[in-house]
Amino acid sequence: MLKMFAPAVGFSTVAINYVFEPKAKKQEVPSPMPITELIGKLPMVQGHSCPIRVLNRLTVVMSEASHFRPNASEYRPFDLLAVQPTTEKLFHAACMLCDVDIICILVTERLPFFFKRAPINGSIDRGVVFEVSYASALRDITMRRYTITNAVCLMESCKGKNVILSSAAEKALELRGPYDIVNLGLLFGLSDTDSKEAVTSTCRAVLLHAEARKTASGIVYTMKSQQEVLRDTADSEAPAAKRPKST
Amino acid sequence: MCADLSRTPRNLLVCERSSFLDEKNRLSFQVEQLRFNYKVSLLLPECGSAPSHLESTLNSFSRFYLVKKLPIYELLDKDFLQNAVYQGSVYGLSFGTRIDEDNCVALMPNGRLVLSLDKDSYEMLGFEGRPSRFNHRTCSRFVVPVDLKERSMAPGSPGYRRLLRALSSHLKLQTDFLISHHPGGGAALKALLSRYDWSERRPEVCSRRLSDLVCPDLRSCDPHSLLEWLGAADADVSCQNSSSSFLSTLTCPEPTTTLAAALSASVSGLLLPQDVQRLVEQLRCHLQQEQTASWASVTVHGFADGPVSWGDEEHGVLTGGENFYNLLMFHDHTYRLHLATGPQDGCPP
Repeated sequence: MLKMFAPAVGFSTVAINYVFEPKAKKQEVPSPMPITELIGKLPMVQGHSCPIRVLNRLTVVMSEASHFRPNASEYRPFDLLAVQPTTEKLFHAACMLCDVDIICILVTERLPFFFKRAPINGSIDRGVVFEVSYASALRDITMRRYTITNAVCLMESCKGKNVILSSAAEKALELRGPYDIVNLGLLFGLSDTDSKEAVTSTCRAVLLHAEARKTASGIVYTMKSQQEVLRDTADSEAPAAKRPKST
Repeated sequence: MCADLSRTPRNLLVCERSSFLDEKNRLSFQVEQLRFNYKVSLLLPECGSAPSHLESTLNSFSRFYLVKKLPIYELLDKDFLQNAVYQGSVYGLSFGTRIDEDNCVALMPNGRLVLSLDKDSYEMLGFEGRPSRFNHRTCSRFVVPVDLKERSMAPGSPGYRRLLRALSSHLKLQTDFLISHHPGGGAALKALLSRYDWSERRPEVCSRRLSDLVCPDLRSCDPHSLLEWLGAADADVSCQNSSSSFLSTLTCPEPTTTLAAALSASVSGLLLPQDVQRLVEQLRCHLQQEQTASWASVTVHGFADGPVSWGDEEHGVLTGGENFYNLLMFHDHTYRLHLATGPQDGCPP
């Protein structure tokens, strides 16, 4: 139902988020359902002649450094990778080191730390964006206060650069149209043009960053071919060895 | 520090008071400059139904054509240029494309073709253009203006061949297209239309009668309140501001009078400035003939998603793409003209 609503409201690209919060040991990263199974035929975007683009995204909630494993193969099926750091140290690590596309800002509770310019500038240089989600603000009045406070703190440090606004919607009615989100960005301390960019060109930049992350330096892209897989299984016996020369 | 909510996106309102009898009045020039008109709304006081001459004027707005999936390189076709572009005025606009998201195309009556492209499309096209005036931090929008009547773009010249190659092989730009020709009508466009899926459209006319319309003093009212009241009347929004209703807190500016009846009519489609000019002339005649009519209001809206608004000025959409003008005419040949644009527009003429 949510996916039917998004194109009607005016979005041309949506990402389905899978949240992974590793609490127990050996907890497995969820694998995303293929888009074709989830939605049969992609609906057309309102006012356009092209269908909506649907991507898969993984958000790893980090409460310890070991929760995010860089270059893990379980992350490969996802188009976008996001982390949600919960402490200052993890936020610093996420900004400077983690190979991710999006850093989620806590909106459901008071921020346990202050944003410092250094890690924020570091992540801006790397092309990593900060995400503020608004659905929790729609559900609860206290969360609305936390969302606005945390977002305004972020904007003071990052000056409105590299920010995206997203819904984190679980129901169709928690989704809002793109121009409404641009107006919401004004409440968060963004200027009108920054707010427009947060919904348009910065999101495009994130998608390109995600594609480049899967390649070598953004130039070379490798893909396992079917033939190699078959040959590997055939050669699983002892490798060929030289026969010793008989003298 | 909290967000600065007192600042709103910029909008521009140019106000002019003049008279039709004044030789220096620039009304015809200003009407002609807004080339792509989407909707014309009329408000006539003390009028139950449209007088016959006005009704015939509204119904005689030029027809236009909607071509589905027109490849844009077809606009460079030699026969099309010879028969349509060089011989008269072609008005063409891409349909179903958003100026802040997609690639938009406009073909103007002076022979200028304007392409407003996103970054990827511009880089694929490989033809010279410039970044949009309204880019913020990143250059995400580019404008490619081409003068088809210039010698360097004559069919067969290197510039022409380069653009044709760019549009037919580098970037196969294809959009639904609204097109109209003045004065030839469909005849000049026949060759182009016959190759694609096209349909002829008539501008849609609708009218309704308003009763007990509260009206401000139109001569002395300030422009913003006047335009707000006109918008409320056109959109059928109540200006009562009753305590039990929270839908609208709009009020009619004081001092007010009440009109027993008024006519609100509108025409929408791809409307040509020449037809708007004719309508203005008819309304002037109507004001002279009818004793009861002391004023008439015409509001002309431009397309929100067009690449150009007034003249050759670039147009963009931030959260709204308004570009319109309102002409308030009085019985004594004087008028008030208000020209309005939004944040991503140049100044109206």
